[in-house]
Amino acid sequence: MNFAMEIIQDGFFAAVAAVGFASISNPPKSAYPWCAAIAAVGHPVRFVLMESADCHIALASLAAALAIGCLAVFSAPAAKCPAEAISFPALLPMIPGMYAYRTFQNLVLCLCCGEGEFHHYFYLTSYNLLTCIVVLLVMAIGVTLPIFVFKKISFKATRYI
Amino acid sequence: MMRMSSRTCSLEGRQLQMTEACLFLSEYAALMLGCGATCIRIEKNVRRMARAMGMRPVLVIMPSSVELTLWDREHRLSSCNTEPIHRKGIRFDMNTRLSSLSWELADGKVTFDEARRRFAVISRLKPANKWLILILASLANASFCRLFGGDLVSMGIVLAATLAGFRLRQIMLEDGIDIRLVFAISAFVSSVIGSAGYVFGIGETPDVALGTSILYLIPGIPYLNSMSDLLDGHYLSFLSRFMDAAVLTACLSAGLCGGLLAMSIKWF
Repeated sequence: MNFAMEIIQDGFFAAVAAVGFASISNPPKSAYPWCAAIAAVGHPVRFVLMESADCHIALASLAAALAIGCLAVFSAPAAKCPAEAISFPALLPMIPGMYAYRTFQNLVLCLCCGEGEFHHYFYLTSYNLLTCIVVLLVMAIGVTLPIFVFKKISFKATRYI
Repeated sequence: MMRMSSRTCSLEGRQLQMTEACLFLSEYAALMLGCGATCIRIEKNVRRMARAMGMRPVLVIMPSSVELTLWDREHRLSSCNTEPIHRKGIRFDMNTRLSSLSWELADGKVTFDEARRRFAVISRLKPANKWLILILASLANASFCRLFGGDLVSMGIVLAATLAGFRLRQIMLEDGIDIRLVFAISAFVSSVIGSAGYVFGIGETPDVALGTSILYLIPGIPYLNSMSDLLDGHYLSFLSRFMDAAVLTACLSAGLCGGLLAMSIKWF
């Protein structure tokens, strides 16, 4: 499969994932198409940066979150809902879930193993925890930055519903 | 004497008005916090409405309550109320309508009484159809499996695992079972079904199927909300939301470990 096809596929499945996970947090109906469209742009940004530019997951997530944040702020008035009602669900496919639960699993393994393996599991616990927190933080920075920069647009999106 | 008595009456009327406004705004803030709004949005919405009514608000957001003090412009009268959070789960539909209501009140499009009536309607809004959410969430998790490089068989396994686990989560939450137990049990069931690739030797990517089968339980929005509060300097709210999400993640990890033990899978 060529790279362009992989990017399209990544965007498509990210859009389905964003809509599905968004439905759990009950967004307004008008937000669904925007969530899908923005996730379909944002997730491939991370995919391309990680696959072709060999970027670290944190840096790639920051770039993708910035793209999602900017798109969400400018589409919030059209979607007639707060910017975070679009951007947060669109970010959900990028939440470092595996890092989060592997942190706890490796923590348990730290306690159940001998001295030799302890260092390995402790390294895995720290690595997963740090990656999870850093990725979450940069995602939040990336998505929040446009909200703060374009305050007038983002906080007035619900004014004329 | 007459002038003093009429002034007292007007002060009493104004005080009553402030008390009603304080009750409304604190309930509003508690509902916004309970439906997963970020602290910056809650503060902005409350400030917008209070200023439109000629008052100055001081809002303190605690992990399980909000405290609002309203002052009049001359700093003579005040009213204070502490309201416990009205927990509703993450509800962006409520967040949107409440934000819109704050603008309508601030722009003078609705009266205070009408705003209170609308607030009562919004607080009773029902969540989206549970069957639709079940199907969408299951499809989402199957797509997630694909994003992690899973093949079609793994996607099918994840779809089945999510359908079962998510439905169980819905039933148990409706029955009022503690959310931490709900997460552990749902993760256990999803991981047992998600291990089908290993047990029956089907598919090329059983590890991806098992790893993604429980990802629908990760509390993504609370994690993002907590980070948003951190960036805005609301450290108490950040810590409270982050720890809530971390506890749920620990519970689902425990459920996953239980599932792996039950199926005798050495995944690490």
